Amino acid sequence: MRGPQIALVTGANSGLGLACSKALAEKGARVYAAYRNPRKAGPLWELTRALPVFPLLMDVNRAPSVERGVRQLLRREGRIDVLLNNAGFVMAGFWEDLSDKDLKDQFETNVFGLLRVARAVLPSMRKQGSGKILNMGSVAAFAAPPGLGPYSATKFAVNSITEALRMEARPWGVEVAEVNPGEIHTSVVQNTRMGEGVFSARSPYSPFTRQFEKLAKERFEKAAPVEKLVQVVLKALGHSPMKRRYLVRPDDYAIYYLRWLLPDALWEWGLGRMFPWSWPTE
Amino acid sequence: MQDRPVAFITGCSTGIGFETALLLAREGYRVFATMRDLKKANPLKEAAKGLDLEILPLDVDKPASVKSAVTAAVKKAGRIDVLVNNAGWGAFGALEEFSDGEIRAQYETNLFGLVRVTRQVLPVMRGQKSGRILNIGSLAGRMTFAGIGLYCSSKYAVEALTESLRLELRPFNIKVAVIEPGTIRTPFKANRRKARLFQEGRSAYQKTLERILYFGNHPSSSAPGPEKVAVAVLKALRARRMAVRYPVGRDAVWFPLLRWFMPDFLFDWVLERRYAGFQREGA
Repeated sequence: MRGPQIALVTGANSGLGLACSKALAEKGARVYAAYRNPRKAGPLWELTRALPVFPLLMDVNRAPSVERGVRQLLRREGRIDVLLNNAGFVMAGFWEDLSDKDLKDQFETNVFGLLRVARAVLPSMRKQGSGKILNMGSVAAFAAPPGLGPYSATKFAVNSITEALRMEARPWGVEVAEVNPGEIHTSVVQNTRMGEGVFSARSPYSPFTRQFEKLAKERFEKAAPVEKLVQVVLKALGHSPMKRRYLVRPDDYAIYYLRWLLPDALWEWGLGRMFPWSWPTE
Repeated sequence: MQDRPVAFITGCSTGIGFETALLLAREGYRVFATMRDLKKANPLKEAAKGLDLEILPLDVDKPASVKSAVTAAVKKAGRIDVLVNNAGWGAFGALEEFSDGEIRAQYETNLFGLVRVTRQVLPVMRGQKSGRILNIGSLAGRMTFAGIGLYCSSKYAVEALTESLRLELRPFNIKVAVIEPGTIRTPFKANRRKARLFQEGRSAYQKTLERILYFGNHPSSSAPGPEKVAVAVLKALRARRMAVRYPVGRDAVWFPLLRWFMPDFLFDWVLERRYAGFQREGA
């Protein structure tokens, strides 16, 4: 392929998206960094001083915004080689504590938004006969913990979407893969939202929510630095063809394999032990 | 409470919901069989003559409808012991080609609607300190098939829902499981909505999708009927320890395992040779 790679990174104003935009640009790609909130795009504009990073105002929740952003990119570059489908957030809370709107917001960004961006770039990639789409998954795509069900459901869905897109796009030379990181120091914690009823005094899950918060905090104290995930993303995009799935830490491998190898009851017992309130011993 | 246990079932006009409602009624449950369109109630009414089965209107897409149906059942029976979340349909088409509206509609019923009904029933079950919730998932929730990627993703989400909800409700003695039918001879065809682009013959994947559709419309005659799914529901309800998942049919047991152990290149090759894998069109 001639010339620099053209990449589109969504959710690029912070955390992993920002780090990947930087890393890809340093490797010589021209990076279109999509962000939604101009007030939070400061660090992104910093990058543009020294690197070929081009901020792109784009809200993955809105189809016209996505289409306009991708059109802009294509008008300037005429092609797109890499899509890093990274925009997403965590909606935490027990299923019953979430309103319809909470649940829809969660899917609108993590699933429908991801599909929207893929849909906008796929025709060009198919026409070129090449292209790479890397979806941001999570270990929550294999393990659905209590208190994180809706987020996990979006990542299960992405898991399936990656596989379907992979099958569809493969004959055109377009590769689709997924990264499934565990706890990584990104902006995911700051960006976590809570379901509507989570802090209601009437929620039957209040005591569990408190325990869950404590546990999540503990686990994120041991989170891996974002560089680790950036390396995996670069490795994946460097592969030709990409593997279907990339895992990050040894823990993530353990979760991935144990889920499939253990009988359901044993797997659930293990998961339940991690969340002791959900596994009261009689 | 020595009364007969109360079951609340969604999507009962045909297929799996229909058979499950009948079987549970025959086995001594007091059944509230719900469906979106009461005009389709006659076959079930006929079949359920003499049984303790009552039909209620319920469109899981509509919050007000969910609320009134669950409230009506609770008012009449005083409790709900079993919830069978069955209402659902399948979108057919390439993932690239669904509009926002088509994507949202698929999730509205298969996931958001399911959660809506569950959320409405949960306070009742928590009050009783007992209850069982069975989600009708699919083999498509365990592995992804070409041409129905959107449907599969909604069923994957149901798997996650079931697994997390199980642990969330364990302290309240409410049990949750997912039934995973493989290929079933049901009027699922009628429950399928094709992506508009494909329907109009303008899909970039047109020929491949047509081939896949042909396969989908000709399930092997040895595939089990919907009554087998109803039997699995009953089995789950009677299990002292309800398992996480109940696959129905041989394919539902073996396909996910085979897929897991199969490298991608082999899987893709098998699809292309034996089945109707995607092929480049119009190039």
